[in-house]
Amino acid sequence: MKESLMDILCDPLDKSDLELEVDERDGDEILEGRLVGTVTGEVYPIEDGIPNLLPPDMRDD
Amino acid sequence: MTGDDLADRRGMETAVYQPAEDSGLLAEAVVERGHGRFLEVGTGSGWVAQKAVTDADDVESVVATDVNPHACRSARERGREVASAGGIDVVRASLLDPFADDAFDTVAFNPPYLPTDPENEWSDWMERALSGGETGRELIDPFVDDVGRVLAPGGVVLLLVSSLTGYDDVVERVERRGFDHEVVVRESYPFETLSVLALSVK
Repeated sequence: MKESLMDILCDPLDKSDLELEVDERDGDEILEGRLVGTVTGEVYPIEDGIPNLLPPDMRDD
Repeated sequence: MTGDDLADRRGMETAVYQPAEDSGLLAEAVVERGHGRFLEVGTGSGWVAQKAVTDADDVESVVATDVNPHACRSARERGREVASAGGIDVVRASLLDPFADDAFDTVAFNPPYLPTDPENEWSDWMERALSGGETGRELIDPFVDDVGRVLAPGGVVLLLVSSLTGYDDVVERVERRGFDHEVVVRESYPFETLSVLALSVK
């Protein structure tokens, strides 16, 4: 995902802001890292450039 | 063996919905009406989102979602092919859940719409790409209820509706949510008529 996507993403649980933590990037493209809910504390992984913003109860299926 | 393993074994075609007549119609509407910041919900293979990048002159940036991880990877691959034209930002998401208010100028959706016996539901990713629950509207209804929130002023929603889903029921809900609507493209096939509706806030 491009870093600019942060402008339009929010926590799927309560629409609050997310914080971006980057492990690996390629220019403005975030390849690995996570998005963390500033209110819920929920952690959403970014893997191979794709953030997984499914709510926790829909993950791992 | 899980559904995912099976899907991997059989190849992507069984795990990811591939472009069909409905995709073609939605792409036509996107090229005609898409503008600004563009979102495709439930992108499947990513074909329509890729068309938005390459063929829709008024579209500035493209985001595509799917619940299916195989679909997300397929869409990301298509995004790479058109990276020089801006590419596709792929997000694994359920409907519009992780998007902020007023985020998009255009939202396109070719929903899973086939009415399905609940006994046979959600058995694999392809079923999930096709099935709209008992009514056929299990995903269309929550989408229509929430899409006004993420739409920027002057924005438009492009929604594919099949006659199999109950066209009048969809239109009734669209009106109840305060949208104006018009048909952008319509095509009849032996078993269904497909329309793409453009919804705009009154």
